[in-house]
Amino acid sequence: MFKNYLKIAWRSLKKQPFFTFLNTFGLAVGMAGALLISLYVYDELNYNNTFAEGDRIHRAQVDIKFGGQARAYAVTPPILGPTLKNDFPEVESITRFRNWGSMLVRKEGTQKNVKEQNTAHVDPSFFDMFGFDLLKGDVVSALTEPNTLILTRSAAMKHFDINNAVGQTLVLNNDETYRVVGVIEDFPKNSFLRNHSLLMAMEGLESAQQPEWGGNNFNTFFKLSPEASMQEFQPKLQSIFLSYVVPYVQSTFMPGLTVENFHAEGNYLRYSAVALKDLHLSSNRVAELSQNSDMQTVYILSFIGLFLIVLASVNFMNLSTAHSLKRAKEVGVRKTLGSNKTDLVKQFLTESGVITFISLLVAVVLAVIALPYFNQVANKDISIPFLNPIFWGILLVVTLVLGFISGSYPAFFMSRFRPSKVLKGSGQTSVGGSKLRNGLVVFQFAISVFLIISTLVVYQQLQYIQNKDLGFNKEQVVIINDVFAAGDQMQSFKKEVQRIAQVKEATLSSFYPTPSHRTDSGFKIVGASAEDKTIQMQRWQVDHDYVKTIGLKLVAGRDFDRSFGTDSTAMIVNETAVKIMGISPEEALGKQIKLGDAESNDNALTIIGVVQNFHYSSMKDEIGALNLYLSDRATSMAVKLAEGDFSNTLAQIESKWASVAPGQPFDYYFMDESFDETYDAEKRLGSIFVTFTLLSIFIACLGLFGLAAFNAEKRTKEIGVRKVLGASVGQISYRLTLDFLKLVGIGVLVSLPLGWYAMNKWLEDFSYRIQFEWWVLVLAGIIAIGIAILTVSYQSIKAAIVNPIKSLRTE
Amino acid sequence: MLVQLDGIFKWVQQGGQQIFLLKDINLEVEEGEFISIMGPSGSGKSTLLNVMGMLDTFDEGTYNFLDEPVHNLKEKHRANLYKQYIGFVFQAYHLIDELTVYENLEMPLLYKKIPSSERKAIVADMLDRFNIVGKKDLFPGQLSGGQQQLVGVARALVGKPKLILADEPTGNLNSKQGEEIMELFKKLNEEGVTIIQVTHSEKNAAYGSRTINLLDGRMV
Repeated sequence: MFKNYLKIAWRSLKKQPFFTFLNTFGLAVGMAGALLISLYVYDELNYNNTFAEGDRIHRAQVDIKFGGQARAYAVTPPILGPTLKNDFPEVESITRFRNWGSMLVRKEGTQKNVKEQNTAHVDPSFFDMFGFDLLKGDVVSALTEPNTLILTRSAAMKHFDINNAVGQTLVLNNDETYRVVGVIEDFPKNSFLRNHSLLMAMEGLESAQQPEWGGNNFNTFFKLSPEASMQEFQPKLQSIFLSYVVPYVQSTFMPGLTVENFHAEGNYLRYSAVALKDLHLSSNRVAELSQNSDMQTVYILSFIGLFLIVLASVNFMNLSTAHSLKRAKEVGVRKTLGSNKTDLVKQFLTESGVITFISLLVAVVLAVIALPYFNQVANKDISIPFLNPIFWGILLVVTLVLGFISGSYPAFFMSRFRPSKVLKGSGQTSVGGSKLRNGLVVFQFAISVFLIISTLVVYQQLQYIQNKDLGFNKEQVVIINDVFAAGDQMQSFKKEVQRIAQVKEATLSSFYPTPSHRTDSGFKIVGASAEDKTIQMQRWQVDHDYVKTIGLKLVAGRDFDRSFGTDSTAMIVNETAVKIMGISPEEALGKQIKLGDAESNDNALTIIGVVQNFHYSSMKDEIGALNLYLSDRATSMAVKLAEGDFSNTLAQIESKWASVAPGQPFDYYFMDESFDETYDAEKRLGSIFVTFTLLSIFIACLGLFGLAAFNAEKRTKEIGVRKVLGASVGQISYRLTLDFLKLVGIGVLVSLPLGWYAMNKWLEDFSYRIQFEWWVLVLAGIIAIGIAILTVSYQSIKAAIVNPIKSLRTE
Repeated sequence: MLVQLDGIFKWVQQGGQQIFLLKDINLEVEEGEFISIMGPSGSGKSTLLNVMGMLDTFDEGTYNFLDEPVHNLKEKHRANLYKQYIGFVFQAYHLIDELTVYENLEMPLLYKKIPSSERKAIVADMLDRFNIVGKKDLFPGQLSGGQQQLVGVARALVGKPKLILADEPTGNLNSKQGEEIMELFKKLNEEGVTIIQVTHSEKNAAYGSRTINLLDGRMV
């Protein structure tokens, strides 16, 4: 019997290629989209899940509001880790990371450096805590001695055969020598260590031994004992503020500090922790070990995935019930030949099973084709786990469930047909269920319009970010990394570069408005009382040419100038800093500023200029206070080029570099490109929105197209009669189209408030954002209705031009 | 007694009025009869046939089929009854377009859960009897109207029913094809099958042993 079901399913699908195509293709597109999204979400949710006792590992973090600014740090003072271990029995072990970003690495005795993108100092407890073993080397003694390091397999292979890696000596940043004590397997792709390739022993790092609570530079992980719970531990973690931080601050730079006046000014300092498994999706703090994602994106994507599946399955129901007119006769015949309802339900479910199964195959093919594009858009490295039986199992179960859900309504609907009705005459009667079908169309278009609104808003916000006046000039600026590798030759390299005709300006610094080094400290105005608040400021070391090269705009005072001998004690601040001081830019000039914990005023700097605020971090954050002061220290050089062909100029700079620093890599990036990368997450979201919005509109249109075809067919007789009575083609197609537009219109109305609400929520994340304008809603509505008109009118016109004699002859 | 209709009424509400489709039908059919139902369009012929075939309900009266009180039976029992004892032949043949001749004939047996080997034998026998062995792999669309109706009759017979209900079986056929089908009915009737047909044609009605005339839902 089942064979018979399959046979007739296959034949009736073959007989209606158009219907079958709409149904399978719509379903396949939806399934493929949902499949890709599921893989993405699965990958995100399983971040940091591979560690053996990972459920007991937490990362300490601190929220500080002090000196007019609130900051959420992923890093803590170096002493926090040892303190946790000493004071609290429930802390089983701790591991600290001091992250350094990129380093130049070469084998001792060679000249050529290789760049490792992510490096860190780490405590030797690292192996035990995260359950790592070494491929080569002794895991027990590894990283216990100063100036030792371990490499990942791929980092090690850049220098030597991993079998004889242990014992070799490497030179880091042309400066310090380290002995290789181990080689470790590359870290899991979906872990917070994914980009790290070189870990050094914490033992040799002086700052790690400091018993200070002032600076936050260490990512501290701790593992609780199996009996302990984070909930109970949280207050103890919090207590560190009173028992350690307050006494430390009182004994160093703010003797007058009391907890009461600290809180009275609205300040706070709160320690807390995030579970390792939540790290990736819930922590986006200053100085994360690696870039994390967020739950919002996962939710948004899950919803889109769900939307796609629902849209596709709604389509399926709509088309199947609409199409059931054609099957009515068969149902009648089968009933008279002895079939009962159950048999018919089974038969139609088999049919929808066949369709969903074919769609699944098509969907997998589509997913494979779209995967490279999707990976690029989503910045992932996902592959389809073809060899995993569980994957296929889930896929099959989901397909069956989907087939059942979308097939059951049509199946029960059709099996109810009464033979005495459907077998009358030549078999054409009306089928019911049009209310449900109309409801489904409304629903589909509500979703589509919602997605259109979202796409428009995301796109506008991205445009806004790209075009906003940033307060600096990112165009035609090249940043050359690691110029410190030239050592003494750094300054002369800068002079050489400045001599190139196409180079307008050049400056040496470690700090740029694009993602680069950041340091902030508390500062005080000289002469302020001990109780006066400190001002938390970014401190950027720059040279005389910085302001010109980066294109900062002065609102008061002057730029650094070599003709002033005193500029080594000069400082330029930004508008936010002045605002926090509570004075005007002009008043700020001449004020002396010193580090918050400095005893004397000897090293105080004098404000000589105020620059207009510029965006040095994401537009999600307010622009914080910042100062610039002169220094010879720099890691990279920014070069402002004249307009025209860059490649030749870059080649010239590279040859200069090769002459001053032979063997050192020449590594550069364009500031505008790097700036764009800051908004990668938003851009990814934007592209994902556009892609899946198009998909969902496409699916909805397939459904509408099929439904319009069915509707026209159902009304053949009515159309014939109208024509005989004198209706024109235009009037009839207008009438047919209007019926659908009403539904689409309702869908639009439903989705507008939802879109308005949801996108305002999304925009709230940005400190600098667009105004949500009403015309976006109107535009979204017009787009949806326009697409619907195009889709439906073809069928309407086609039905309207049929010769009425043909359509009336059937009776 | 095969069929016993007693005081059957059927009506519908239309515009607040009761419209009678069947009015006080009293009819008894013995096994082995060949009955023709005649009457103008809208006189209730098809409705009467559907009521007897249990595809349609009635509002008043009693109906005994093989001494089973159909009017008291649940729908499921009624369905079982007609599945077992009644074969239908339609004016528009109503073969399933997606199935071959062979598969069309096989279908009622599938619903009766008859085992595969037996099914094959019965269908082969039927193909043989109707002389359509050569057409068994063709689809209905590839057959002429007469051949389709031949398959329709064969399909009605394949479940070995006691009664065949035919609703204008020759209505879509030309006179020669129609004659062949009527000859076939006559032969089947002689072999013991009870037949009730609806027809417009006096000539076809003459094949039957008895004619019932309907006018406005009433027997005349």
